[in-house]
Amino acid sequence: MRKFDLELSVGLFILAGILCLGYLSVRLAKMEVLGGQGYELHALFTNVGGLKEGATVVIAGVDVGRVQSITLENYRAEVVLSIQEDLELQEDAIASIKTKGLIGEKYIQITPGGAEEIIPPGGKIWETEPAVDLEQLISQFAFGKI
Amino acid sequence: MGIARVWMRISVGLVLFGLLTGTPVLRAGGPMEGIRETTGRILQILSDPSLEGKEHRAERRRRIREAVDERFDWEAIARSALSTQWRNLKPAEKDEFTRLFSSLVERTYMDRLEAYSGEDVVYLDEETFDTRAKVRVKIVTRKNQEIPVEYRLRRGNGEWRVYDILIEGVSLVKNYRVQFNDILAKSSYAELVERLKAKVQQES
Repeated sequence: MRKFDLELSVGLFILAGILCLGYLSVRLAKMEVLGGQGYELHALFTNVGGLKEGATVVIAGVDVGRVQSITLENYRAEVVLSIQEDLELQEDAIASIKTKGLIGEKYIQITPGGAEEIIPPGGKIWETEPAVDLEQLISQFAFGKI
Repeated sequence: MGIARVWMRISVGLVLFGLLTGTPVLRAGGPMEGIRETTGRILQILSDPSLEGKEHRAERRRRIREAVDERFDWEAIARSALSTQWRNLKPAEKDEFTRLFSSLVERTYMDRLEAYSGEDVVYLDEETFDTRAKVRVKIVTRKNQEIPVEYRLRRGNGEWRVYDILIEGVSLVKNYRVQFNDILAKSSYAELVERLKAKVQQES
């Protein structure tokens, strides 16, 4: 009887540990288990420069959403963003692909606009800036003055 | 037989007529046509011998400005550049800001425009979505460097007007938006207007 109690408590302990681990990994990876809140916006870029799904979307450096998916559409990158519910974006807001640091990971920065119209959920951010090709700029700088 | 041939002539005639007149009329209103026309006008002014030299500078600039003003929607550009602060302005302030901002952009780019020395402008493609359009152009310098330029246009009152330009993928509006936001975060709108005024004065 006492032996059974010991095994049961060890089992429960392990189970609780596994649950905690699962919870932690979901929270750390910020995965959305139940659909997640927020609304979708689409944006077309000529070059995303290695942007990954799950990358952050920021305004003024503050996290406001995530990259949900990136697909190739007519040789352009169609990016679907999930933006937090209460946030309104003007239709002239600009989405730019930025790099953390000099060689860090890519993220999307949104600079709010001045227009009256708000992009509806499922709508499109028209103003996009592609990733700046650093090598291209360096090569222009290096070889430009012939 | 005779009638069939007559009909054929008429229909061929109609098709030719359509090709010669109809198509150009339809295309003339397109976004790329608009850019092409304005660019053509500016290049013409720049290469006009009667407008050359320092003594004709004012007249030359006035004419270029006129051509640009017809194609650019300055209010949209200024609104977008000032972004979130725009809605707090009174109508008179909006007008003043638009005027100041367009002078600033003019001063910045006029010198470069006047340094024109036979660069080639290649019209790549246009894309239209409803009332918006992108026109891609590349400028080929004499050293054979290619500079990609993308015009963003919107249609209003049947006319396509530019509201942003991307050079090498960098947006003009965004460039000013970030700078204005920086200034506004550190000081006030009045200060921003003062700085714009000083900049416009200094470079003229």
